[in-house]
Amino acid sequence: MTEFSQSELNERLRRVFENAGYRRYKMSKFEEYDLYADNKDFLASKSVITFTDLDGRLMALKPDVTLSIVKNFREGGDEKVYYHENVYRGFETGFKEISQAGLECIGEVDEYCVCEVLSLAAKSLMTISESCELDISHLGILCELFDKAGLSREGKAAALRLMGEKNRGELSALLKSESKDSALSGLILELSGHDDKAGEAAKFLRKALVGAVSEDSLELFCDTCEFLSEKFGDSVRVDFSTVGDLNYYSGIIFKGFVSGVPSSVLSGGQYNGLMRKMKKSAKAIGFALYLDLLEPLFNGGESYDADILLTYKTGDSLRSVYNAAEKLAAGGKSVCVMKQNPRDMRFKEIYSLSDGGEAVREG
Amino acid sequence: MKDEIINVALPKGRLGDNVYELFSKAGYRCEELENPGRRLTFENAEAGIRYFWVKPSDVAIYVEKGAADLGVAGKDILTEYRPDIYELLDIGLGRCRMAVAAPKNFRDDHRRTLRVATKFPSTAKRYYSSIGRDIDIIKLNGSIELAPILGLSDVIVDIVETGATLKQNNLEVYETLFDISARLIANKASYRFKREKINEIKAGLSAAIKERELV
Repeated sequence: MTEFSQSELNERLRRVFENAGYRRYKMSKFEEYDLYADNKDFLASKSVITFTDLDGRLMALKPDVTLSIVKNFREGGDEKVYYHENVYRGFETGFKEISQAGLECIGEVDEYCVCEVLSLAAKSLMTISESCELDISHLGILCELFDKAGLSREGKAAALRLMGEKNRGELSALLKSESKDSALSGLILELSGHDDKAGEAAKFLRKALVGAVSEDSLELFCDTCEFLSEKFGDSVRVDFSTVGDLNYYSGIIFKGFVSGVPSSVLSGGQYNGLMRKMKKSAKAIGFALYLDLLEPLFNGGESYDADILLTYKTGDSLRSVYNAAEKLAAGGKSVCVMKQNPRDMRFKEIYSLSDGGEAVREG
Repeated sequence: MKDEIINVALPKGRLGDNVYELFSKAGYRCEELENPGRRLTFENAEAGIRYFWVKPSDVAIYVEKGAADLGVAGKDILTEYRPDIYELLDIGLGRCRMAVAAPKNFRDDHRRTLRVATKFPSTAKRYYSSIGRDIDIIKLNGSIELAPILGLSDVIVDIVETGATLKQNNLEVYETLFDISARLIANKASYRFKREKINEIKAGLSAAIKERELV
């Protein structure tokens, strides 16, 4: 359990983002539906709430923030923005309003920008809990290996899914059936089980992947791993089960976990594929933090609905009830005034109004 | 961390008994589970493990939602529901296959929509979509073999073990979709924060599986 409330967390995250010079991106709740229809695979949920606007356009309640930011990005400059918005997504049980925070860095995204965004992701997780982990992986490196191993388009998608499941057995069978290069297949299998502290992983990857993938991307990735290891120690790990959609994500991809929440609470990566799909030449990296998933961490909050309950009877004068409540609240306590003690509420102290108009403590 | 407990969801029934035997051989025996009484969870604090029995189709839900760190679920359930979990090991128990079965001499008439009865609608939809065949799904909860006999469906998509039930009902396997066996699955966040212990259990089970195969 955290020692702070959800609103305090929001404030702390805002400071993390603004201290790095990211400016708040505020947007309307609606967007033209076409934007989502064209990029459905990028969305976490395919179901979108739509409605027809007064001018006949088909609109949607925003299921995602990144697509809007990319759509409104003007080429030629760099943009560093953060957001804290509610989005609307469909689940098996129906639509839900979800609170999401995150940031996007768009433009000439260089090594510094990548490390800055990854650092902000790590800092965001640490803001939530000391017991956290940021896992990073590199889709570009994996794809290069898949291509060289001769995997088909479907084979690549299946291999990524199996890596995401840490399903070594089925990945081995797939590689046997699709690739003739046993050395590369062995390397892919080794990577699928690889999961190590970022610094150690960089050492391993430099040895294992030399000559197998382009020197530039390997060096950049290892350098990033070492940088993150220096800054955040064991909280950052390289785990190749961190995967994403190849149509949208290209280079580094990452997910964040905090102890006490059963799924990843942060997800991000370099989404140059999405930029190209939306006819933008700039590069981009960003992440989203799913604030609604953090709810279990805040359960230990207030166990009382109000400090004091004051009960009164029919016939008690308005002024005596009001004055007694005001007196009880004088010390800054919260006072709930009702005729009866409600079954589903809890109070630290219970008072009732005496015939003389005084609040008398019960029990 | 020596004192951390790993919660394991075991599938109720014969498969679960065999799975527990493997855990036991791997060094995670639990006397409480062997003498259950009215308890619902069974713990061996020294070995750092706590077991509980759940309906086989619910194991993946317990693991995905984090109520269990580990679980053992059939590949049929994992393929149908595609939970967001890690599939760490093929336990090798409960081997069977997912198949399309049809009355003997069945011919698929592509001029009409194929009626498919199944307990596994997502699996069936995914398979027929991959081969571009238009189908109507009839979701049933049991006695699937009855559907083509009574004309409710043309074919069924179901688990086939020996094929004896199919044979008795004048049905046969038309197409095998994939092999099924029990898998060790892990919650993704638990894997992060209990990594050492989970890998230790996985290694123990692997060794126990190898030993069983040698017998």
